[in-house]
Order: sequence, then structure tokens, then C-alpha cells
Amino acid sequence: MTVSLRDSITNGEAPARPQAPALKRRWLDFGQQLDWRRRLLLGLTGWLLFVFGWYLAAHAGLASERLFPGPVAVMNALVDLFMEQGFLGDVVSSIRRILISFSLAVAIALPLGLLMGAFARIDGLLNPLLGAFRYLPAPAFIPLLLMWLGTGDSQKIALLLIGVVFFLAIMLADVTRQVPASFIETAKTLGGGRRVVLWTVVFRHSLPGYMDTCRQMLAVSWTYLVIAEIVAATDGIGAMMMRAKRFVHVDDIMAGIVTIGLLGLAFDALFRLVYRWRFPYLRGAHQR
Amino acid sequence: MHTASGLIIEGAGKTFRAGGRDPRVALEGVSLQLPPGQVGVLLGPSGCGKSTLLRMVAGLEEPTAGALSLNGRPVTGPGRDRGMVFQSYTSFPWLTVRQNVAYGLKITGDHSSLREGAVEHFIQAVRLQDVADAYPHELSGGMRQRVAIARTLANHPELLLMDEPFGALDPETRWQMQELLLGIVRKERTTVLLVSHDIEEALYLGDVVFFLSSHPGRLREVIRPDFKKDVPAGDREALLDHPEYRRLDMHIRRLMSEEGSTQGQPA
Repeated sequence: MTVSLRDSITNGEAPARPQAPALKRRWLDFGQQLDWRRRLLLGLTGWLLFVFGWYLAAHAGLASERLFPGPVAVMNALVDLFMEQGFLGDVVSSIRRILISFSLAVAIALPLGLLMGAFARIDGLLNPLLGAFRYLPAPAFIPLLLMWLGTGDSQKIALLLIGVVFFLAIMLADVTRQVPASFIETAKTLGGGRRVVLWTVVFRHSLPGYMDTCRQMLAVSWTYLVIAEIVAATDGIGAMMMRAKRFVHVDDIMAGIVTIGLLGLAFDALFRLVYRWRFPYLRGAHQR
Repeated sequence: MHTASGLIIEGAGKTFRAGGRDPRVALEGVSLQLPPGQVGVLLGPSGCGKSTLLRMVAGLEEPTAGALSLNGRPVTGPGRDRGMVFQSYTSFPWLTVRQNVAYGLKITGDHSSLREGAVEHFIQAVRLQDVADAYPHELSGGMRQRVAIARTLANHPELLLMDEPFGALDPETRWQMQELLLGIVRKERTTVLLVSHDIEEALYLGDVVFFLSSHPGRLREVIRPDFKKDVPAGDREALLDHPEYRRLDMHIRRLMSEEGSTQGQPA
């Protein structure tokens, strides 16, 4: 169609048939829906641009390659770490710390968030307390934790827990509060008591929101993990990076950063997968 | 008060006291009776407290004066005997149509009704058998409201409460839903108390229409469209054409416009 139009213009003639005017299409517009192929393509493009920019910056001679290695050197370092230096053990240690501390955080924050979101009195009791604790920077507890718990795993897990649990409780309470009052009232007039309404309506309605909140807070967990492992640790991704710093192995440090990024991406994908699988009723719900 | 059956409301009132402000009287001295098996409609202009009254019957709102009872038992809170259908869509999005309809029976542990097929019976009654395994977001507004009605009726309430249940639907769907509701209610002999601001809906559905005035809400008139006995059941055209229908319609319109004009005056 466009070809015939262009031909007719170059020939200086009017087009033979009047064409229906197409809607103006723009590359960026509000409310665009992308299929997974486009999404993947765009995602890969973003990554390629990043790696390419990194490559250019590393080889432009701004800094020595020792201090600012390019992507290839870092990939080589990553392979070497896994194959020769038993980096897998560090990664497993880090993941274990994340999983234990985050499970503990959810186990504490979820009941609190549910009860705070559902009952104003419990919210009134706990919100000012947790809200204040939330503002205390978790690393400030490190000296205390080192004295109380030593330099072992429990100290690191405690730090991760403190860094996440207060935020998590308050965010989960916010999710809980979004249950429509009419859902609760419907369940009451169908004969549901307090316990039944709490579980079959309030908790059940909030479940997808809880998952989403946990997914986001897990990213914060990784931040505190590195802090915990940098302070005093013999194993873990952060410990490896601190060791590498002593010998100015910048490529190893960067490999550690890349590893954390990839793990974060993997956990995120896992959460999304579970979300799609567990909550089929949310698929396409917002498209209507 | 001889036989304590049906819904009895005696001198119900509701005054809202927001801190520091003058108390606002939403309802005052409302007394009415609804015998079992009848459809009662609470009709009136906005601000007449008809929804507040309905929520009091449901046990979701506490009266500040008066007393309410259903079949001799005083209303002290929400319960299975008074199921409510809301104007907003309240079918639970995480449950399929069938699971939604079974919800009330599940949470109250009514296994005998579940066994006897109450769920399928009411899914068929509201004609949703083809979408019984669909989730609510796949359904239209009218279908979602039918889920809510089936869910409430499957629970065998003694009184079905409805708060402008068809208010959010388009006129065509609303008519269909009214006919569907009337058919089911006649067949199951359900007692219904329904809030409406639509005169046609009130006269079409109601055995008795309670007209409430506004500011504060008071029971102004009880209208019984008894002429409907002469009209073939559910025949809307014959009903709208009946001279008595037109007389009542005009009468209620006058009541409405009187309310409107007093509303405009400063108190």
C-alpha cells in the first residue's frame, strides 16, 4: 500500500483509489500492549546496549584495564571463579542466608501485616512502633549484633531480618487494607464469622499482593546480604568480593556483582512464574 | 404484635455523630412489617436513609434507636438468615462461578445442602450453567450480579436483602434481571427487602413499597400495588399499561418531586 502511494507521488499523480486514512501510529504511546516477542526483543536490546556501552568505556583507555575491566574479562573471571575457585560454595551460602532470613521475615511480618490491615486496633497498637523501627538503618545494628551473636551465620541472618521485617510488615498491612468492604460484608451476611472472613476473604484477597510485596522486598534483602558479608564473613558472594579487593582483582568483584544481578533476576522470574500459576484469575483481568 | 413472623422494624432510627459536628439524623422512627414470602421495596430520594435501613436489617449498621427482628429473633449482627446482595460486584474474583455459589454453604458447613445439589440448582436458576467454571472477570456485569444472587439464595436465607442490585446495569439487562429475580423469588417463596430509587422497578417487583422521605429519613407512605393480581405474572407491558399502575406512578413521582423541593430549602 505504501509503495503504491509513494509511486504515485513520484509520478506526480493522484493515487488511483482514495485510501482510508490510517491512524497515526507512534513508537511511544500511552497504553500500548506488547506481546512477549517484542518484550523479549526490547529487553535484550537494553542489555546489549548496556554491555556494548560497558565495552566501549572499558576499552576507551580512560582507566587501566586492571581497574576497569571490560565485559569479556569479567565473564572470564566469572567462569574461572566457578571452575577453579569453588565460587559455587559462596553462592550457595549467600542464597541460604537469603532464604532463611527472608522466610523468618515473612513468618513474622505476614501475621502482623494481616492483623494490622484487618483490625484497626491492632494497627493502632503496632503501626507507630514498627513505623519508627523502619527508619532505623539496619547496618547501625551491626556492632550490637556482632557482640550478641558473634561473626557467624546468625549475625548475618539477624541483620537481613532487621533490614526487611519492619518494611515488610507495614507493606503487607497496606496490601491487606485494600480488601473491599463489600467483600467482607458479603461474607458476613453469608454467615462467616471473624475467623472465616479473615482467612477466606481478607487473606485470600490479599495473597497476590503479598506475593508482589515479597518479590520487591527480596531485592532489598540482597542489598543487606552484601553488607552483612562484607563486614565479617569467610564465605558468601560478598566475602569473595572483599577478598578480591585485597588483591585488586577488579574483574572478580565485578563478577560478583554480575552474579548477584543474575540471581536477583532468577528469583524475580521464579516469583512471576508462581504468581501466574497460582493466580490464573488475574491473567487478563486488567485487560478488560 | 401478635405473630412474630417476618421482618418487624419498630421505631428504628440512626443518628450519625461525627466528632465535634452537629449530629446528623439519617433515619427517624421508622416502623414497618414485611410478612414472609413478600417482596418489600424501600423507595425514596437519595439521602432518605434507605440503604442505612437495609444495612441495619443486615446487622451491618447499628441502630441508635428502635428495634429490629426477623421471625421473632432480634437482629444483633450479620447472619446467614439475612443474605445481602450489593450494588457493587461482590463475586470473589479468586473463585469460579460454582465455587462462589458454594461459598456460603462451605463456610457454614452446610454439607447436606451441598450434597442435595443446592449449588447446581441455583446456578441453573440464574442460568449460568454454561459459565459455571469461569472466573468472574470473564463475565459481564449482569452475570456477576446473577452469581451474587445465586450465592445468596443457595445459602437459604430467611430474608434476601438487596441494595440497588441492578443499579449499575444497562436498562435492557436490568429488565431481564428483574424478571429473573421475580421468577426465582415466586418459585422459592423468598422474602425480599430491596432498595431502589427507580419507580418502575419498585412497582414491578414489590408486593409492598415503603416510600421514605429524606432529611431525616422517615416512612412517609406504604403503597400496595394490589392491582398486580389482575395482571398476568411478570407481564411488564400489561403492568405498565394498567391504569392503576399509571396512577401510582404519578403519585410516587409527586412524592419524589415534593421531596426534591423541600430538599432545596435551607433547613
